[in-house]
This record gives sequence, C-alpha cells and structure tokens, in this order.
Amino acid sequence: MYGADVEQIAIELSEEPEKLADFEARIARGEKIEPGDWMPAEYRRQLIRMISQHAHSEVVGMLPEGAWITRAPSLRRKLILIAKVQDEAGHGQYLYHAAETLGATREEMLEALLSGKAKYSSIFNYHTTTWADNGAIGWLVDGAAILNQTMLARCSYGPYSRAMVRICMEENFHRKQGQEMIIRYSQGTPTQRAMVQDAITRWWWPTLMMFGPHDADSPNSGLLIRWGIKTRTNDQLRQEFVNQLAPDLQACGISIPDPDLRYDEASGNWLFGVIDWDEFWRVIKGDGPANAERMAARQQAHDDGRWVREALSAYAAKNQIQ
Amino acid sequence: MSDTQWPRYEVFQQEAPDKPVLHNGSVHAPDIEMALLNARDVFARRPEASQLWVAAAERITSRTREELAAGEPAPSTAGEPQTYCLFGKLAQQAQASLLGEVQAASGAAAIATAQTDFEAQKVLRWWAVPLAALLKSDPAEADPMFAPAREKTYKDQAEYPVVTMMRKLRAGKRLDE
Repeated sequence: MYGADVEQIAIELSEEPEKLADFEARIARGEKIEPGDWMPAEYRRQLIRMISQHAHSEVVGMLPEGAWITRAPSLRRKLILIAKVQDEAGHGQYLYHAAETLGATREEMLEALLSGKAKYSSIFNYHTTTWADNGAIGWLVDGAAILNQTMLARCSYGPYSRAMVRICMEENFHRKQGQEMIIRYSQGTPTQRAMVQDAITRWWWPTLMMFGPHDADSPNSGLLIRWGIKTRTNDQLRQEFVNQLAPDLQACGISIPDPDLRYDEASGNWLFGVIDWDEFWRVIKGDGPANAERMAARQQAHDDGRWVREALSAYAAKNQIQ
Repeated sequence: MSDTQWPRYEVFQQEAPDKPVLHNGSVHAPDIEMALLNARDVFARRPEASQLWVAAAERITSRTREELAAGEPAPSTAGEPQTYCLFGKLAQQAQASLLGEVQAASGAAAIATAQTDFEAQKVLRWWAVPLAALLKSDPAEADPMFAPAREKTYKDQAEYPVVTMMRKLRAGKRLDE
C-alpha cells in the first residue's frame, strides 16, 4: 500500500509540472506543507511509510522495557520506567495522528503492523536480558532516535514536524535517565560495572544499525532530501552518533566492542569498523532474536483489549439511543 | 461487534491560563467524553496543561492559504447562524491557535468572515470549529485532570545532571566530589 516503482513515480511527477514546481519552491522557501495543500503522490506515500513505521516503532518499543517494570530495583527507577513506557505509547499516538492527516487510517496501519506487513525499528527485536539494558536503551537507542527526530522536527510536512518537536522534548528525559543510570553503575560496584559493560557490548552494534543502510543502499534518500523530509543522510547521522557516544562511554571506563574504533584528527570523526549488514537485513526481514515474540505480544495486547473496546462502544451506542 | 476504528476527535490544549489554546493532535474514541479522557492520557502527561478541548474531526472545516487562493464558490449563507471558534496557523512551525469567535451559517462562511475580521494576522491555515461541537474540560475537575503530572518531576530532563556528571568523570573526579 505504500510502494510505487521508479517508473510510476517518474510518470506521476511529469503529470503536473507547474504544481510540482510550486510545491518544490515552497519547500525551498522553508514553508511547511499542510493537509489540504497539493503534494506529489510520492511525497504522501513516502511520508505515510515513514510516519507509520515510526509509530509502530514507538508501540513495539514499549515491549523490551515494559518487561522490566515489575523488576525495577527501586521505586524511583520503577516510576521512571513506567513514565517512559507510557510516553512511548503517547508518541505512537502522536505519530498515527500525523499519518492520518495524509489519508492513512488508524485501522489499516494497525492491521499492517499486526499482520507483519509493516516494518518497525530493527532495534526492538533484541532481548533485554539484564536491568542495565534499560539504561543502554535510554542512552544509546533513545540517543540515536533523538538525532534522527531532531532532523525530522525540521521536516517539510507540518503535522510530522510538530509531532517531532513534542517527541524530542520528551525523549530527552528518556535519554538522560538512561545515561544517568549507565554513568552511576559504571562508577559503582564490580557487579554493576560488569552488568553495564555487558549491556553496552550487546547494544552498541544494533544501535549503529538503527540509522539504516549505508547511503549507497538507501533508495529513498534522494527524494526524501529533495523534498525536505530528511535533511541529513543515514551515514551522516550515524557518524554524529559515534562522535557523541564514543568519548563519553570511554570517560565512563566502558569499552566499546569495536577494535577499529579510533579518533581521526584530520576529519575530527571517530572512525568505526564494518557493520554486520547481514544481521541488519536478517532482523529487518523478520528473523531477529525477538521478532516473533514481539508480534505475538502485540497481537495478544490487541486481543486482550477487545472487551474494553466493545464495552466502550456498547456504552456509547446506548447513550446515543437515549 | 465489529472491531473497526472509532471516530477521530481533534484535541486542543491550553498550557496555562494566560497562554493561547493550541491544536495538538487527535485521538480516537467511541464518544466525546471518552475522547476527552483519551486526550488527557495522550497529551497531558506533562505539567503543561490547564484546559483540554475536543471536537469531532468531521465537524471541523479546514482551509489552507493555498486552498483559499485556488478559489471556491461563495459559501452558502442559508441556515441558522451559529458560533464558530476560529483557529489559525500563524507561523510555519506553529500549531493552530485560537484567534476568536464568529457567527456564521457554515464552517466555510465562518472562515470567509474571519479572513476579514482577522485580516491583520497572516493566517497560513484556518480551522472553523462549531462552539456546540466542542467539549471542554470542566474547570472544577482541573485538579484530578492535570495536578498529578505536576508532581512527577522525574519526567523532566532537568532532573538528570548528566552534563555535570560527565564533566567530573572527564576531569578524573568521583561523582560525589
């Protein structure tokens, strides 16, 4: 429902050259496109694809951390974790709203998620095996997400951009609570230090994969940048992430599982080793450590909530009759 | 019973009594009372809320500047005039904010009137919401609706002094120094 081939896109773009020129001029002037404004069919399709995937990621993203709510080590950490998972649910809602303004329905998006047709961030198909994983998710995974979302907060589509501004503000709490946890444990007991090291070792590479394929293998990037949806490429964002995280993790005494990682004076970048793209594609295509488990949990949540939806609908129908 | 989606309600929020009422997003609900409760869960998880309004999306009339420039037939003035709340998007990045009220026979007529009434403001996108379609949070229930979020200070990123902590570690100091 979201795809179109290259030829079809070229035909569509040649159909209304004046409208396309006006549209691109608006984007060049930094204007936001709003629901109701003319937009190329492919702009709409790309946005629905991106925003719905993003929404699904927020929703599935509740699962790895949600599993730890009952096992949080203190009341404070428990309150933080509950608030964070609740925020992710809210972010999913903001994003479904933004996709709906483009004509996608909530129903078809949920159906696409539950039937396994829709993609979501590969990172949530990894297991959270110790408590410190919640800290690693906050600092690394949410930190990576914020870089992407800060870019999208400037995107050319008004409703997506506004949803992102709100999400970034709340995600900063997510990142910082995780960073604070990792910093404290890294200066804590030997057991805490070992737990933190293990968590970073497991989450480092999957986090780098979150930024998506190399620019050369990212077929949508050209159009997305041309239309102001993205302003930076996957590789640029990934490099910025490594530049931020590498010195901070090292200052905590945590080692990063990459023998090729080193600071390059000439470019000012932290150079890193080769990403295991086989693993990336395997997880994206459904064969990651937890894909089946995540989908089963989503389906169960949907099924378990059915009686609530039915009761609310029955109550609304009764009131309407009266 | 079919498990299809509920109607969509647009959500408006006032962060504090002296701040403008802004459009924020939407929720789905079986009726408008549930829409208000859902709006609280989705949009008032932070302290910045003193009022929430909801209205069924199908009752709202929207026009972008581009749509108005393209022209449309003069809106019908037949029918009983009613009060419309007019929202306008005033800057590229901004959410639509409440500008005022007009009396009109339809949403399109309300926007036509508002273009004259609020001419000084450069509106990029208009929304006309019938006052009768809005459900506003009850001021008497503001406390149970919005007070709990104010005590949850751990949701504030400023609670986590990670910049200071990193500075200490880089200087070779302990966290409690």
